[in-house]
Amino acid sequence: MTKHDVVGVEELEAGACKITTIEGKSIGVYYNGNEYYAIRNVCPHQQVELCKGKFTGTTLESKPHEYIYGREGEILTCPWHGWEFDVKTGKALVDPDRYRVKVYDVSIENNRVLVHMD
Amino acid sequence: MEASTTKKASKFNHGIIDCDVHQGVKSYDDLKPYMPRVWWDRLKAHNATLPFLMFRPIPLERNDAAPGNGLPSGSDPEFAKVDLLDRYNIERAVLTGNLLSISAHNNPDYAAALASAFNDYTMDTWIPSDERWLGSIVVATQDPLLAAKEIDRLGSHPRVVQVLLTSASREPYGQRRYYPIYEAAARNNLVIGIHGGGEGDGINPSTTAAGYPTTNFERHNILAIHHMSQLNSIVCEGVFERFPTLKVAFIEGGLAWLPHLMWRMDKNFRAMRNEVPWLKYKPSEYILKHVRLTTQPIEEPDNKELVQMFQLMHAEKTVMFSTDYPHWDNDTPLFVLNKLPEEMRRRVAYENAAEMYQLQERGLLAGGVAK
Ligand code: FES
Repeated sequence: MTKHDVVGVEELEAGACKITTIEGKSIGVYYNGNEYYAIRNVCPHQQVELCKGKFTGTTLESKPHEYIYGREGEILTCPWHGWEFDVKTGKALVDPDRYRVKVYDVSIENNRVLVHMD
Repeated sequence: MEASTTKKASKFNHGIIDCDVHQGVKSYDDLKPYMPRVWWDRLKAHNATLPFLMFRPIPLERNDAAPGNGLPSGSDPEFAKVDLLDRYNIERAVLTGNLLSISAHNNPDYAAALASAFNDYTMDTWIPSDERWLGSIVVATQDPLLAAKEIDRLGSHPRVVQVLLTSASREPYGQRRYYPIYEAAARNNLVIGIHGGGEGDGINPSTTAAGYPTTNFERHNILAIHHMSQLNSIVCEGVFERFPTLKVAFIEGGLAWLPHLMWRMDKNFRAMRNEVPWLKYKPSEYILKHVRLTTQPIEEPDNKELVQMFQLMHAEKTVMFSTDYPHWDNDTPLFVLNKLPEEMRRRVAYENAAEMYQLQERGLLAGGVAK
């Protein structure tokens, strides 16, 4: 496992995503104000740059015509067809077993955000 | 090119023609020079006067296709050239514009003036910017005579290949009030393109045949009924008998419904032919001869079913590739075309469109292998 130094914690504001290349792979490092996430920048649908999409929340499971908003900052919506992904697991909200994007472990050391690659 | 090495590496050595690219304006004020002063004030409020009612949770235009400096996606030809044409090696692209609810407007004169201004803007800014762009003349269908005038005004331009109507209309397009549009298209040797837009907006009938839906999800699932309704009307009313050279492209309306409709029409024709004595052939024969459909937004079954679906609709004749750039539901060539067997891919990616728009005859091919 190799740790890659991507960005200083003070450089990444809450809600922001920095897209970078690590070991030839395009990866988005995202900070939701609480946690840091590293997500492969390729949508499993049509292979476009997923991390250029919107980091947001979503409507939670509910009864017909009931709207409950939640998971603010935990959902990445693809800039193309709008598929939603869980930033923690990389799984799509619809068909999670079929569609997922790779996520990587992240650690903070000496105020730097490090992405772990195996 | 060496045949031995092309098998894998050169999936697209025959080129790609993209039949649906949406160019737009940087600002609606850009249309002022092309419009009578009397309409200028409306332009500023174009959202209010160009009906577009359904809320879209995913914005119509892809954010990541924005050219920068706050400009809207699809508004900068230089950016679109790199972002779309160069990136996917697209040889020719048919521009379809973004006045997608023009025929939903209650005021036929404003709608016609706006369409004309948009066409002039396209001719001045997009068409000269790169020879890969081909143009459509967008017309407002509220007043077919004004639409015909617009077609005659610009129809002889060498890089204009199509007249564009939106799929929602007050009355189905087979009906006689639209003949002036078809006469003008035939006179100018242009394809009629029918593109999704304006369903349930303004003066148009409801978005679904059963009433207005609640969500964009529901709307989008059922959009194809407008294309189905128009195709049904055009064939049954005898438009292709009346205008034997006319070709119609159904753009952005999905595909999978075509076998269903053809089978149903042919079956019913056996029983009810006497209602339409002007039809000399089965409906499906008119469709295979005169009608083409574009891929995007393609239904996404698994690959095997996709190929079956293409076979059922005779895709080697009827289907043309499109991206719908820069809209949210656009398809990359790599996604759709890669799923098809080689022969079908070549027809869909390139040859069907080259034939439909007579690009060879018009001297508008760069070097593809269309017959
Ligand atoms: S490419 Fe991401 S949702 Fe289609």
